[in-house]
Amino acid sequence: MTQILPSIVDGLLIGFVYGVAAMGLTLIWGVMRVINLGHGATMALGMFCTYLLFAHFALNPYLGMVAVVILSLLFGVIIYGVALQRVIQAGYLSTLLATFAVNMIIIGLGTWVFTTSPRNIDFSAGSITIGPVILQGTRLLAALAAVVITGALYLFLHFTRPGKAIRAVSNNRAAAELMGIPSSYVLALAFGLGTMLAAVAGGLTSTFFPFTILSGSTYQLKSFVICVLGGLGNPLGALLGGLFLGGLEGIIPTFMPVSWVPVVEFVLFVLVLVVKPTGLLGSK
Amino acid sequence: MNLLEIKDLTSGYEGVQILWGVNLRLEQGKLTTLVGSNGVGKTTLLSTAMGLLRPWQGTVTFAGQDVTNLPAYARAKAGMVLVPEGRQLFTDMTVLENLEMGAFSKRARASFQKNLDQVFELFPRLKERAKQKAGTLSGGEQQMVAVARGLMAEPEILILDELSLGLSPLLALTLFESLTQLKKTGLTMLLVEQNVSMALAVSDYAYVLAEGRVHLQGPARDLLKNDEVKRTYLGI
Repeated sequence: MTQILPSIVDGLLIGFVYGVAAMGLTLIWGVMRVINLGHGATMALGMFCTYLLFAHFALNPYLGMVAVVILSLLFGVIIYGVALQRVIQAGYLSTLLATFAVNMIIIGLGTWVFTTSPRNIDFSAGSITIGPVILQGTRLLAALAAVVITGALYLFLHFTRPGKAIRAVSNNRAAAELMGIPSSYVLALAFGLGTMLAAVAGGLTSTFFPFTILSGSTYQLKSFVICVLGGLGNPLGALLGGLFLGGLEGIIPTFMPVSWVPVVEFVLFVLVLVVKPTGLLGSK
Repeated sequence: MNLLEIKDLTSGYEGVQILWGVNLRLEQGKLTTLVGSNGVGKTTLLSTAMGLLRPWQGTVTFAGQDVTNLPAYARAKAGMVLVPEGRQLFTDMTVLENLEMGAFSKRARASFQKNLDQVFELFPRLKERAKQKAGTLSGGEQQMVAVARGLMAEPEILILDELSLGLSPLLALTLFESLTQLKKTGLTMLLVEQNVSMALAVSDYAYVLAEGRVHLQGPARDLLKNDEVKRTYLGI
């Protein structure tokens, strides 16, 4: 028990960050029916952005997150305009290929600029000890940031005009156009937000794990598993799915070799797809 | 004065031509009806007029402005508002949120409260259901939301596609009565209806569309007496 509890808590804290990443994926899917294969690469960009600000300007990673938010939002809107807008009506295969191309370009350029040698952010936010559990400050702050971001996203989507427009376009794009909502801009904004969530999740992860430009792919796969668990298109489901997966990753290594973690995760993934393809929290 | 003028419009889907040169004029303040059997291109005509579908040829002029190349949202902003067939509500959003989305443009937002009061007066049921998700309402109530959402857009011209489709005769009658009320406020309307007798009864002018062209047109009163109209659309 003294072994399991700290592992679970640790896993859950990381799970919050997984949740934010998955929320980005699920938001983009929910609003525009695009599976963003550039998701992982975007997370890696978030990691590097945080790293560069920390290494070169000694900027606190959590302050750096503000820069990550602004830059990634812009980046997402640009990617939408350049790579997606023209193919958005053309069906899943075209958008899948377009986002895959974005993924390859980011990874290619990133490898050229940063090489693939691992980086890490040497930043400590102290720790708190409660009984047998040692809570790392960076993980606590990351979890806290994740909660704040989720809350902000909820408020944005439900209580602001652009947020409501995103929901309207997601619900019925043609009807939204007919009501005077410029749906192309709304989709660009939604893609920007999804990209921002991925980049922020990446930035938060970079404060506790070493990474390379290729690190995103693992997290992208986890995001897919989480989205399926929580039901694609459901942001709250994504957060809960993230917590579930994080918790699982905390528990499994206490009685199995760590290398079994992905096996369990993907067996679960397949099981959910077979038994309840709409996700454990999905409705439709 | 003609508020909306459609000239020699041809359009279709992926190489299949549906409209073969449609000419249509909507006079300001009048209620005009567009009648036609299934598949003659009524909905295609509306989609093209609204900019959801690109025209192949021809022009659409609204309030003296050529809007042929404007995207749908820009036409809605200018005051061309379509209440689409099958309601097309934002089903996951509340009734009130649907109405807010109707008033998305700056012009419509300015008179949001006034329009909201008017809409609730016209459909008191919606006031009770304001916080309910639109998708959970009955068919008739959903149609009310669709019309109300259109009115919230502060339309110069309101186009209603198959308003009475799938509604009980009584509900259809209620909605038609609200149309005559709206007409009194001076609103220009285009009605596309399969309930031909009811539509002609409330309209000033009417067009009959057949095989992608305007087949007949005239004052609604006259068309009600037309033998061909009687035979084909009224079943008498």
